Amino acid sequence: MITVDGSLKARLAIWLLVTVSALGALLLVEAYLSSERAAERAYDSQLESAALTIAEAVQWEGGEPVVEVPAAALQILATRHQERVFYAVLDADGDIVSANLEMSIQPEWRRQVTERTVWMHVDNQDVDWRLHGREFDSAGWESQDPVQIWVGHTTEGRQSLTDELFEQAVTRFLAMVLLAGLLMLLTMRVALNPMRRLRRVLRQREADDMRPLDARVPEELRELAETLDSLFAHQRESRDALLRFTADASHQLKTPLAGLQSTSELALKSDQPDEWRRALEAVHSGAGRTSRLASQLLSLARLRHVADGSAMVRLDLVMLLRDTVMDWAQRDVASGHDLGLAELPDTAQYIHGEALSLRELIGNLIDNALSYTPPGSMITLGLVQHDRDVELFIEDDGPGVSPEALERLHQPFERGGRQDTEGSGLGLAIVDSIARRHDARLSLVPNTPQGLRVCIVFPLTAQEASP
Amino acid sequence: MRLLVIEDDPLIARSLDQALTPLGNTIDAFTHCAEAGAALQRGHFDLVILDLGLPDGDGLSLLEALRERGDTTPVLILTARDGVDDRVRGLDLGADDYLAKPFSLAELEARVRALLRRSQQRADNRLCLGALCFDQELGVASLHGERLDLPRRELCLLEGLLLHAGSITPREMLENRLFGFGEVGSNALEVYVSRLRKRLQGSGLTIRTFRGLGYRLEEGVR
Repeated sequence: MITVDGSLKARLAIWLLVTVSALGALLLVEAYLSSERAAERAYDSQLESAALTIAEAVQWEGGEPVVEVPAAALQILATRHQERVFYAVLDADGDIVSANLEMSIQPEWRRQVTERTVWMHVDNQDVDWRLHGREFDSAGWESQDPVQIWVGHTTEGRQSLTDELFEQAVTRFLAMVLLAGLLMLLTMRVALNPMRRLRRVLRQREADDMRPLDARVPEELRELAETLDSLFAHQRESRDALLRFTADASHQLKTPLAGLQSTSELALKSDQPDEWRRALEAVHSGAGRTSRLASQLLSLARLRHVADGSAMVRLDLVMLLRDTVMDWAQRDVASGHDLGLAELPDTAQYIHGEALSLRELIGNLIDNALSYTPPGSMITLGLVQHDRDVELFIEDDGPGVSPEALERLHQPFERGGRQDTEGSGLGLAIVDSIARRHDARLSLVPNTPQGLRVCIVFPLTAQEASP
Repeated sequence: MRLLVIEDDPLIARSLDQALTPLGNTIDAFTHCAEAGAALQRGHFDLVILDLGLPDGDGLSLLEALRERGDTTPVLILTARDGVDDRVRGLDLGADDYLAKPFSLAELEARVRALLRRSQQRADNRLCLGALCFDQELGVASLHGERLDLPRRELCLLEGLLLHAGSITPREMLENRLFGFGEVGSNALEVYVSRLRKRLQGSGLTIRTFRGLGYRLEEGVR
């Protein structure tokens, strides 16, 4: 049965989507961070130049620094984003020389600035500020005290620059994903093309076309194509076998039918009741033979058809043999013979098998014995228990079969050189094919003092085999 | 006895008629399910011989309808399909016996006789074959209407054989009836069988031995 389990395209697309999204998320985080860094760098350099501009404006009057903050410095700090700006100039003692806002510069920060220039984010009244502080050596004559210059602004400008840069990165990324998706669809179409081609080739085949495939396939589809090819080869073989078998069977059926036709034709020409009676008897036995042949052909065909071991179960051969022989002993065809069972083993003999076909096997053995021995012959079936297997046998005291004919007996339509009986030559072929399916060995040996003995040795199932 | 034959092949229908009428039966033959179903609802039959592949439907559905009505008329199925599945399904649906085509008329006659006898026995609680009868309630056997005085084990044996009249009574079953489940000698049963054989001489009944299988009580010598 064919179950459709998703589509290849969907599966490819999902995998691609998952990997692209995971990768994309990482890329976006990295893009945001780098935008932020770029914005920080750009605005920090503004803070730096503002600080320098203020530093240049520092004057010394009587050993005290005096500063007139130039408008240019404030303009540098405040961009078009309307930031609030801050500046402070401190002398060496930390006193404010000039400042525009009440923002206290912590002593800790002042100490840091004496060592190196400082960049920091500060939270003042819930607003984020970026501060820059540095120390300038004073250029005065009388004093060598340094001055500290602090500048800062709020971060709206930085934020908007970051956003702008990030937006561009996202746009580029989305465009790439879209393009990749389109390319993927295109690639899948191209990659799956060989499958479509194979499908077309298969669809165009005639129902009875069993020739090997003629198609170009990529490496990945080679196995599938080869499997299909071997399937076709099997089908071809089994169809050929079937045709051969049907031809054989028709030929076999035609022979007794021709006999029926000629016998009845002759009888119709005659006006002697004795002739009619003889003809009717011939017709009766011919009809019996034909119908037996038909049912054997049917069972052989059925056995060949059901090739899997699905119906194999553990079963008791003793019980099965007794039932089957009982059934046959009561049939009309057996009434002229002495058909019986030898003493059977006391314990059950378990084998792995299929009850229906084993019955068929035993039935065919009995049927054969009945048709190839004269009325009154003794036919005995039995079981012999061995260590690991059990032997089913049937023996008769009929005329037997010559040693050279024994070899060929299990071929279909082989009658051991006899044309005088009701046999079709199919019985042992059926037996042989059932025995093979049960891993059993079939052997035919002359019976003493006369007659034929057919043995089939079945392996016992593991749990019943004696050690 | 009144028999209903449902068979669409004219040749087979005619030979059934010719074989069964001389046995004292009246045959009504139909070729279609519908007509046969109507006939079954109108009148009483003692046995139905039913072909499965009919032109207007499957004979099995007719059988199913019959049994659903609670009609217990014995049914013998006749068919060219001899797969086990079909057989089991037919018997499950309430068929009493099954005969695969091709069949010999002798076999058909034997089956018909056995089915009719069985339904008769169900009716009057007596086991009969030919001139021999066994009353199961009284435990009395009679031959040609005369009481047959038999020792207990021979009576047991006779009842066992009559229960399976027409088919083989398995040896183990008879041994259990006669001797219980204990060990018995291999020819202990044979002794009683040959005694009973002597008593039945001249009655038209014989007991046939099936080597290793059992015994069959037979009517006349075929």
